[in-house]
Amino acid sequence: MKPNYKQEVTNWGNFPVVEKEIRSEDSIEKIKDFVRNNNEVIARGNGRCYGDASLSEHIFSTKRLNKFISFDRLNGVIECEAGVLLSQVLEVIVPQGYFLYVTPGTKFISVGGAIASDVHGKNHHAEGCFSEYVEEFSLLNENSEVMICSRTENEDKFWATIGGMGLTGIILSAKFKLKNIETAYIRQESVKAESLDEIFKLFDQSESWTYSVAWIDCLQTGKNIGRSILMRGEHAFKHQLPKDLQEKPLRLKKKLIPTVPFYFPDFLLNNLTVKLFNLLYFNKQQKKEVKNYVDYETFFYPLDVVNDWNKIYGKKGFIQYQMVIPKEKGKEGMRRILETIAKSGNGSFLAVLKLFGKNNPQAYNSFPIEGYTLALDFKVNSKLKNLVADLDKIVEEFGGRIYLTKDSMSRSTLTNYLQNVQNPKFVSMQHKRIISNSN
Amino acid sequence: MIVLGSNSEIAQAFVEKALEAGEKYSTVFLFTSNKETTEKFARHIDVKFLQQSEIIELDLLKEIDYTKFDEISSDLLFCATGYLGEGTEEGLYNNRNTEQIIDINYAKLIPVLNFFANKMERQRSGTMIVLSSVAGDRGRQSNFIYGSAKAGLTAYLSGLRNYLFSRKVHVLTVKPGFMDTKMTEGLPLNSKLTASPKQAAEGIYHAYKKKKNTAYILPVWGVIMLIIKNIPEFIFKKLKL
Repeated sequence: MKPNYKQEVTNWGNFPVVEKEIRSEDSIEKIKDFVRNNNEVIARGNGRCYGDASLSEHIFSTKRLNKFISFDRLNGVIECEAGVLLSQVLEVIVPQGYFLYVTPGTKFISVGGAIASDVHGKNHHAEGCFSEYVEEFSLLNENSEVMICSRTENEDKFWATIGGMGLTGIILSAKFKLKNIETAYIRQESVKAESLDEIFKLFDQSESWTYSVAWIDCLQTGKNIGRSILMRGEHAFKHQLPKDLQEKPLRLKKKLIPTVPFYFPDFLLNNLTVKLFNLLYFNKQQKKEVKNYVDYETFFYPLDVVNDWNKIYGKKGFIQYQMVIPKEKGKEGMRRILETIAKSGNGSFLAVLKLFGKNNPQAYNSFPIEGYTLALDFKVNSKLKNLVADLDKIVEEFGGRIYLTKDSMSRSTLTNYLQNVQNPKFVSMQHKRIISNSN
Repeated sequence: MIVLGSNSEIAQAFVEKALEAGEKYSTVFLFTSNKETTEKFARHIDVKFLQQSEIIELDLLKEIDYTKFDEISSDLLFCATGYLGEGTEEGLYNNRNTEQIIDINYAKLIPVLNFFANKMERQRSGTMIVLSSVAGDRGRQSNFIYGSAKAGLTAYLSGLRNYLFSRKVHVLTVKPGFMDTKMTEGLPLNSKLTASPKQAAEGIYHAYKKKKNTAYILPVWGVIMLIIKNIPEFIFKKLKL
């Protein structure tokens, strides 16, 4: 049996699907050889970006870089290899009274991916991106040398790599700061909004909350446009919890996680079922405002409770469309976007709206800029390309941009914002696509 | 716990599984031929479980000084030592390759297992979990040097289990089928027949707790090997397996 490293590979959106070489090593010498011997290499963590960002001719999977290195329990600093997942970090740190400063909407991403995408979460307006808490990382660069990068050492590479989509090299390990928590629970408030004006006002009023995000029904039209539920939260203190939870405030009960067993047939997800889902979701909450305590998994990772949920979009896959529009024109831009989606009839489950705070100008490759961001899932079908083109046009008109981690087909004027990442060694299919469309 | 072959992904997953299940070990003794790689794992279990460990160099292809292991004893031994070697035609007629396969999987391993078996015999308690292979169930043209060494190991373990039974020591023979590990990367393995190290660890831990004698990791391998073992030789010799 001769080894053949070519494999069918695709990321979370199941689109595109390609056949490429994938290698995974844990020995640094072998990783160096792999980089030395190939051009067009890209690192891939847990494959949770949606499109083609972590695909290339030669993919280095970090799945065997899965070890913890150190944990300073006194000062809350942890160091691990790049393939360790945030879910694994949480398992170690939460019982010790720590949490991630920044987490995206899934915990099944790798630490390397979190840096390469410079991920953001529900607290962007208050606490910024993942990179704010990264003290240092080690990077295998285009010359196959290991570099330690931090704010004081190789700082050029440090900042180019933050949000640099893996185009500066392979992140091998990282050290980052953690947040103190008293409990594993969140004090949550859910507030219903009937219109776009109302939800925008709610975001402004929620500025002092650490976490805020809204679920928005994007199939509404006319005066109902912007119908949504804002969720805001704070880490709960022990004394605030109901008595039965105070005993072991940092331990969560183990939950059974169901798995979507197969790709759902194409017809199952259509405008009608999405409308029905949205209606049910919106009306599940009867009152205008609900206050309660939920565990961190329910608050941060509502979709992680079902394994392989991406299969409900069928075999052809789906894309996630996430854009940001600068704050001053945010309301008008969002209205236009939502109108366009509703008109297209290409409904999206779980559209997520959030107000980003100011960006860190040093992290020049990071996606977030101050403004409103909307993330939508669309099933891949014949109408999708036109819809994306229409949405792109609006985003461009309003001076916005597209999140590379989600992108697989947007126009390059919205995605060509990375700097200092050009080299022949580390190239992704996404980067190639963007560059060739820009010329 | 004593671990032989500590850089094996299955061994590491098993250690993690046992610690996750709440097993307590004063020290995990990590025997390894590559200390540097094992150090990473030692740090890992320290961060994750505050588990103390000790790394001990053991290269089966070199002279072994057993006096160094005198102080080491435990109620549980997990042996994942193994070497696939080259199963190709060139590999078959390469004596060095053949010797290494036989030495690592059988000839040089048995004295080490005997050494620890003897310790457990004297303490009259303990479990030895040893990874053999489905390849040892019947020799096939694709990897029969490896298979014959593993067949020897399986036979040894069966005898050892019999010998140690009355001495209160249990032996578990594990026969993994296809595994998704470094050893098999790039090989065209059927994904339905292939287990991850994590799955393997869970299966082995379960078999250990149930005091099973032999265990396949995926039940389907029990069926496959039953069929393979029962094909009459006059047909079997014509097959390309």
